Amino acid sequence: MKAGPLLLLFAATAQAAQPDPSLRNFVACPIVRDTASVPCWLAEYDGELYFLTLQTDVSAPVNPPWLGHRVLVEGRRSDKPRICGGTPLEPVRLSVIAEPDASCNQLLPAEDRYNLTFEPPRPPGPSAGRLAFNTLPMPTQPAAIKKEPQRYTLDYYFDGMVNFKTPFQLAPVLDMARAMPATRVEIVGYRSAALLSNGKVLQEQPDLARRRAEQVVELLKGAGLTAPQYQVRWVDASPVPNGTDDYRNRKVEITLQP
Amino acid sequence: MKLRQALIAIPLAASIAWLPSPSPSADYAGTLDRWWGPGETRAWPQRLDYANSQGLVGVLRDGPVLETRGHAFFTSLGPNGRACVTCHQPADGMSLSAATARERWSVTGGRDPLFAAIDGSNCPNLPQEKESSHSLLLGRGLIRVSLPWPPRGEDGKPLDPEFTLEVVRDPTGCNTGAAHGLKSAQPSVSVYRRPRPVANTKYTTHQNFGVLPFIGKNGLPATRDPDNGKPSAMNLMADARAATLKLQAQDAATNHLQMPAALTPAQLGEIVAFEGSLYVAQAASHAAGSLEEAGGPSGLGPDAMRKGEAGVLGNNTTRWVVPMENKWKSLPRTGDVAADARAAARESIQRGHDVYMFRTFWIRDSMHLNSVGLGNPTKRTCATCHGMHMTGMDTANGWMDIGTTNLPWAKEEPLNPWNSSKPEMPLFKVTCKASVPPHPFLGRVIYTQDPGRALISGRCNDVGTIVMQQLRGLSARAPYFSNGSANTLREVVDFYDRRYAIGYSEQEKQDLVNFLGAL
Repeated sequence: MKAGPLLLLFAATAQAAQPDPSLRNFVACPIVRDTASVPCWLAEYDGELYFLTLQTDVSAPVNPPWLGHRVLVEGRRSDKPRICGGTPLEPVRLSVIAEPDASCNQLLPAEDRYNLTFEPPRPPGPSAGRLAFNTLPMPTQPAAIKKEPQRYTLDYYFDGMVNFKTPFQLAPVLDMARAMPATRVEIVGYRSAALLSNGKVLQEQPDLARRRAEQVVELLKGAGLTAPQYQVRWVDASPVPNGTDDYRNRKVEITLQP
Repeated sequence: MKLRQALIAIPLAASIAWLPSPSPSADYAGTLDRWWGPGETRAWPQRLDYANSQGLVGVLRDGPVLETRGHAFFTSLGPNGRACVTCHQPADGMSLSAATARERWSVTGGRDPLFAAIDGSNCPNLPQEKESSHSLLLGRGLIRVSLPWPPRGEDGKPLDPEFTLEVVRDPTGCNTGAAHGLKSAQPSVSVYRRPRPVANTKYTTHQNFGVLPFIGKNGLPATRDPDNGKPSAMNLMADARAATLKLQAQDAATNHLQMPAALTPAQLGEIVAFEGSLYVAQAASHAAGSLEEAGGPSGLGPDAMRKGEAGVLGNNTTRWVVPMENKWKSLPRTGDVAADARAAARESIQRGHDVYMFRTFWIRDSMHLNSVGLGNPTKRTCATCHGMHMTGMDTANGWMDIGTTNLPWAKEEPLNPWNSSKPEMPLFKVTCKASVPPHPFLGRVIYTQDPGRALISGRCNDVGTIVMQQLRGLSARAPYFSNGSANTLREVVDFYDRRYAIGYSEQEKQDLVNFLGAL
């Protein structure tokens, strides 16, 4: 029952290209390994343990997945030394699978041999006064008001709608639209498929491109941007996945026209 | 009257003197003088101090002495005789304790406007003269909040909620009754919540770090201040339904005071200005003495609240949530029994602060915490969520589900042949529709005593989420949590210990209780 909805979206693919051998795209239960500092996040695929990421904070470019859910891992095997016993994947993208899976419940205790050999970007408690990464700039008024069309891209997790990272991507759009001021907002929604390392294809939900695009209209209007004309369309056919950069099509493009 | 004013306005000098050990009778001695009733002619001084079970709470007004006669906050504005002050008492840290409610019942025989049928009873159609009809207010300090079902959008139009709602248990009768329930002519849901303190409002309404046009937890649009269009912190009420103090005041005037007309701009101005002038914190401790004496920790006492920077993160070692500067880390002993006992109590408060800031545990399955980039579980501390400088609130839009109202963690009456007590709180069954993703941590079917923010947003993953509130003046306003399910600070700590399998030692628990009690 729990795996049903996800399995229905798998499809063997004849036309998809064979994946790059260094790519590691798979769906698995995440594993937490405690350390003397912050915990590590790992996942097993094809008999190998991979290091996904560390616990940091909301500003991290890669945020940890969730126990109680499987995770879609889209990464590239690196030659760097193991971390927490796992081979690092760099770069890596993680998308939590929405359907709960109680079997994903492995929290490993700390062991001396798996202690981090480097200072984590952020300790497990209070920081020294900053976020771990400088990736979440507080939105401000645009430095210069643009008189030419401005294009923005919102990223999404696999099968996801807006999330906790959206405010930081959408607030500059709102600022610019007001400052410009935009007379027309063009929004295009997309959805993707993901080519897994086992050759299977994982499809995002049908109709997701439309729902993403229409939700962005609701968000901008809900934030008070009601004056411009909205032009909304979506591309529901996902391109043939290549396993390399399939995530790029999980997006909404926004163009502000002065 | 003059004598009463003199008794209430304890001079600051007195508040920092040594306090005798508490006794139940001493806590509420002079009850009549503690109570500020609607329509009284009194002078609100710049500083009020009131005894509570832990010591003294201080209420600092950043402004001149205020004559209450005719002031909108103190005037009965509707037919039920209540004023804002009825549920926002200075002795209770500008909230209302269950002990005060019981005292008012005793003093007035249940005729105080506090017990108005509309929400000071379990349901308006119950026999109002009976004490049992007010059991939730008397026992847990809870006010009935009636919300439309389905929820309404900001334009007043019904939303299409992501879930269905069924009443599983209705001990008050208000959710199934023909007059007020889900199937009444105007379908509504009755939930029962604690009044929040109206003080330290520069923190609860800040528009600083983490307040964006879009909600930091889920990316949806934040509510906005209709006066200036700016996004609000959405941290005022348990369900974030009112964006500003003005909107909250109007909501309360309509629903709690039963005021037939809208508040005038002048009345709104008076209420909001008064609320904005008040700073509340515990000022003295029976065990630790003054919490605000010169040379002590800079984050304690009401004047620290006045001076503090609003809307900034304190979950760090450069600004701190409650600055203590390790002033009470290790204090000398003199051989004087009383002085040494006070030093020991102060060291306990400092240790409790350190537990709050540094004691890690696994925070798991908490919606809008584990789902916002930290991972599930995340190994963090109290200050991770309670991170706002000076108040311990969330700087961003702060509703979360830690299990205070959602089963299996919410406090429920044990049902067995040997327990004659019956459940007091309603219980709802929430079923998330097939068209939306399930709740990440609770699945598609959720049982809850209060759906919280979901009664406003209509969203499945908001079920049972409650806006966290400030941690100041706690000793003045038991019980705790939005549903009054923790009678004491120790019960608060015990709840967290169970919920997150923390494994606090007895010493850690006591230190944490002492720290929270000193805020």
